[in-house]
Amino acid sequence: MRITKGAVLPRLFDNLIWILLLAAVATFSLSSDRFLTADNLTNILIHSSVLGIMVIGQSFTLITGNFDLSAESSLGLIAVGGAFLLTAAGEPSNGSGLQLNPILTIVVMLGVGLVIGWINGFLITHLKMNNFIVTLSMLIIVRGLAFLITQGKTVTNLPESFKALGHESIGPFPISVVVVLVAFLLAYIVTRYTRFGRDLYAIGGNRDAALASGIDPDRRIRQVYLISGAMAALAAWIELGRLGVGATRIGEGMIFEIQAAAVIGGISLFGGRGTMIGALGGVLLLSSIDSGLNLMRVSGFAIDMVRGIVILLAMLIDAQKARYKGPSTASTVIATQLKARTG
Amino acid sequence: MRFSKIIPFLLNNLIWFLLLGVIIFFGLTTDNFLAPNNFANILFNASVLGVLVIGQSFTLLTGNFDLSAESTLGLCGLLGVWLITSAGAPRYGSGWMLPPILSILVILVIGMLIGWLNGVLITKLKVNNFVVTLAMLITIRGLTLLINNGQTAYSISDEYNWLGMGKLGSVPVPVVVLLLFFVVAHIITTYTPFGRELYSIGANRNAALASGVKPDRRIIQVYMISGLLAAFAGWMLSARLTNAMSSMGKGMIFEVFAAAVIGGISLKGGQGSLIGALGGVLLLTTIGAGLNLMDVSVYWIQAIRGLIILVAMLIEAQKVRYIAPTAIASRTAPTPLASGPTSGETHVHSN
Amino acid sequence: MSDAISAQPFMVEMRKITKDFPGVRALTDIDFRLQPGELRGLVGKNGAGKSTLMNVLTGVYPSDSGEIVVRGKAYTRMTTTISRQLGIACVHQHSQLVPPLSIAENVFCGNLPTTKLGLVDWAKIHRETDERLKRLGLDIDGLRKVEGLSVAERQIIEIAKALFADAEVIILDEATAPLPKNEVEMLFNFVRRQRERGVAFIYISHYLEEIFELCDTVTVMKDGRNIGDFKVADLTQPDLIRLISGSEVELFKHAARTVNGKVMLNIQGLNRPGAYNHLDLTIRKGEIIGLTGLEGCGKDALARGLFGLEPMGEGQVLLEGKPYRASDPRAALNHGVAYLPRDRHGFGIVGLRSIRENITLPIISRLANRLGFIATTKETELVSQLIRKLNVKTTSMNQAVQFLSGGNQQKVVFAKLASVNPRVLLLDEPTQGVDVQAKTEILKIVDQLSLEGVAVVVISEEIRELLDTCDRILVMFKGQIVAEFQTGDPATTVEHILNAVEGTAQPR
Repeated sequence: MRITKGAVLPRLFDNLIWILLLAAVATFSLSSDRFLTADNLTNILIHSSVLGIMVIGQSFTLITGNFDLSAESSLGLIAVGGAFLLTAAGEPSNGSGLQLNPILTIVVMLGVGLVIGWINGFLITHLKMNNFIVTLSMLIIVRGLAFLITQGKTVTNLPESFKALGHESIGPFPISVVVVLVAFLLAYIVTRYTRFGRDLYAIGGNRDAALASGIDPDRRIRQVYLISGAMAALAAWIELGRLGVGATRIGEGMIFEIQAAAVIGGISLFGGRGTMIGALGGVLLLSSIDSGLNLMRVSGFAIDMVRGIVILLAMLIDAQKARYKGPSTASTVIATQLKARTG
Repeated sequence: MRFSKIIPFLLNNLIWFLLLGVIIFFGLTTDNFLAPNNFANILFNASVLGVLVIGQSFTLLTGNFDLSAESTLGLCGLLGVWLITSAGAPRYGSGWMLPPILSILVILVIGMLIGWLNGVLITKLKVNNFVVTLAMLITIRGLTLLINNGQTAYSISDEYNWLGMGKLGSVPVPVVVLLLFFVVAHIITTYTPFGRELYSIGANRNAALASGVKPDRRIIQVYMISGLLAAFAGWMLSARLTNAMSSMGKGMIFEVFAAAVIGGISLKGGQGSLIGALGGVLLLTTIGAGLNLMDVSVYWIQAIRGLIILVAMLIEAQKVRYIAPTAIASRTAPTPLASGPTSGETHVHSN
Repeated sequence: MSDAISAQPFMVEMRKITKDFPGVRALTDIDFRLQPGELRGLVGKNGAGKSTLMNVLTGVYPSDSGEIVVRGKAYTRMTTTISRQLGIACVHQHSQLVPPLSIAENVFCGNLPTTKLGLVDWAKIHRETDERLKRLGLDIDGLRKVEGLSVAERQIIEIAKALFADAEVIILDEATAPLPKNEVEMLFNFVRRQRERGVAFIYISHYLEEIFELCDTVTVMKDGRNIGDFKVADLTQPDLIRLISGSEVELFKHAARTVNGKVMLNIQGLNRPGAYNHLDLTIRKGEIIGLTGLEGCGKDALARGLFGLEPMGEGQVLLEGKPYRASDPRAALNHGVAYLPRDRHGFGIVGLRSIRENITLPIISRLANRLGFIATTKETELVSQLIRKLNVKTTSMNQAVQFLSGGNQQKVVFAKLASVNPRVLLLDEPTQGVDVQAKTEILKIVDQLSLEGVAVVVISEEIRELLDTCDRILVMFKGQIVAEFQTGDPATTVEHILNAVEGTAQPR
């Protein structure tokens, strides 16, 4: 009954994201001298930071078999709300006039993220509402609130101290890059080495089994939505620093990119599978493609298209995975289909 | 009607009571809400959303969905204008100056092709429908930006713009289209074999297969319908605006889902009606229009809409408590195969 | 060890257990005793109360009266928590493992050991899992993911998990999950080794041969009562069958005939590797044949192949003399070949939709008028006619099928099949999961359809039922037809057929 180590194909499939990333890096290095330079790599990381933080939050929910569509709106609301609190009223700043202390502002931003996450989790676990509906509604509501705060105006003149996270460096390392890497590392440790993290996998992999093992799925699900909200707050802080202004449209449409990065990185939409390191790979792949194509002077507009195709290809390969892994007779296929139907 | 029947009745027709409630509310709070002109306006504003919702509902009935519809709208809307206009400033078209009718045909075919591709990837290559249509959403939006380098194209063709600006008698064309399409879609889903099969696929794909339905073929077809209608909606929107931005339709998919779901189309497939979906479209649009008349900031409108969706869904989620609780029990805890309490045989041998 | 009636102290003793469900007495005055290291079979028909009894033992359902004594202490109100603490565990067919995770993590799920820093101690988890698995005599790599394991391996891991939690009584609820032969061996060897350590097992199975292979003792339940505890060594398989079925009221007796009508379906040398080998089979118009055999003998695969749900394979099939092939169910239905699936919820009914829609689904395109719309009046007429004919009990044909009882759902499936005016009906376990009355009615329907000229194949493991309903019974073994019995022949008995089923009869 002992399994033979090896079997090349499954191994390749398991590390698909890194192979893709390697291929992308190799291609771009060959076609542009400037791709493999420290500057450019740093740039890729800087561009990955906000997406990366958002992907972390989303991955927590995905691992439990949930998702959080509202994350992109939370990012927008918290960013514009934070900017609003920090700045002077009227033109040109368009702020509240409160000129709140940056630290206090950050606390408020975090609080807003947590409240949104709490509402999501509450509606899903207590009121047993469909997670798609809940987070979709929240997506719309929260974006509406973002517009409401500044009446759609862009907030400018943020205090320098606040922006540090987004555009200062520690030595040669931009703070945002350090933050996103540390965040991924922490997320990896939490999901891999804490009971909390392992509970999430168990819940996503087989909710009933998790329940029978003494895990409280509802509680954990509420917690992952809190994390998702908190991550949106962190991402908002970085984004404000990077852009220097708070626009109501920040994050609009980003949810697709977030989910794409997570999924291409191996986080399953059905829960229980994938690692945070893989998700980081997904983020890096998308950012590398952006950067590489940019250097190749491909029109910025073509980049989106290439991205979509890469995601589709990766998923196509992924869909073939099942053929090479594990016992998959017709009957088990039917059984899983049945489960999917009735579940 | 007995009281015990009132609650289920209300819940089953929730969307219409909500719509009625909203209309009464706005009728009381604003002066000109109940003017016929305003209703026409609401229908006019509902038209593009409505056409998209029809396409989405077809996929939803089979237990699928099509995220890429909003990008298809964008691509086809842009292409429709781009193909018929002169190159460079001031109109930023292709310079090909295609006859409008040809351009329209081209975009409708492209819409169907996108749908076909979605369907084939999902049914034949067995890639998850979320991933396929998500990737398509991104790819097509990229393609749209690429075509015109992000430039807005302007249409001066009256023929092309007829779908958005024209009138039949005193009724705007989009209103006619909206109502006509919903009626046709309702008839197709309710009174044709094709429609019946869609419901059965969404409710139990395996049983449909064993009843002679060809699920893969039907699913490809509903994606083609979704693509076709998205293309049509693209034409409609660009005709109404008389221009086409490459970001057209961005983010619209959420509203499409919201309208369909609030109108009673189940995300799990196999349940809901197109007339209900029309109700969903009208509700969302009416709220927008009413709040507008109340001089509510446009920024509130979005938030209130989301809230109403949430509340409607909250009520919907409670519905199960009042209507046939057994249905829920059997859905959440399906009887294990062949081990129901009354099944009565003993297998007299082993393998 | 195997003496159930010895004076040894009992590990578990259930006394005078009675349990009522609304309208039904599920258990009546059940006594059930189990000794350390005992391997006890628990048999009975579905609905005999086996699962209910075990659910009372594990505290899922409280009993209405009676008590459970475990190691000398009596409990009148068992709960799942107490039963777990007492070391009573149940391994279901619905796996309580998390497929994407490793065996080791599953073993410790919900209670992962941590280091001083509060981090999960993977080294310890893997070390301990390996050690524990070895102690149980298992050579499985704890790093393997559960999703890569076979069914038996998963069950072994579940048992192991229960043992690690100090379970001393393990219930194996196998109800309908048959395992491949080699896996059964693996599982049984494991179970035997654990019993040497004093762990007692209660093995619930429909597959009596497994009971004879594994168990020391067997408890037979019928209608919520304990018919008796027996030493397996004192019984033969036919004895046990008789005990389980008791003196059964005949449900329905079809007048067995020798049908000499036209040949409806003629199968010559039909071959699909892994399913059936070179089958020859002839079914006449109006004939009912029974097809039986062990799980995996190819009887149900043949039906799915003929219906186009699976590839049919090579060979020739003639339908009323014309070559027949079905690439998919649509093609089969167009030829008048209809199939009733065993899995009613999975493949039979569209539960969310109405009776009307279910019944006309296969012929819906034929019901369309010239404009392409469904001719509603015609449909209503047809549906009400079929509802009447098949005696579907419902207030309205627009009711969702999911709200009907199992028997009525099955009648709706029959009505659906009848709507296509089939020439050949393939029925896979048509009476499974329906109550006695509905069963009788369904058997009558089958009889009626055959009188109308339909050629019927009933695939079932209910040999007694086949004897009462069919004209001929064919037995399959390892993909081949090995025996044929005329049900009208007084020399044909259940025992004869059983011998053929087990592969011990001479090939025909």
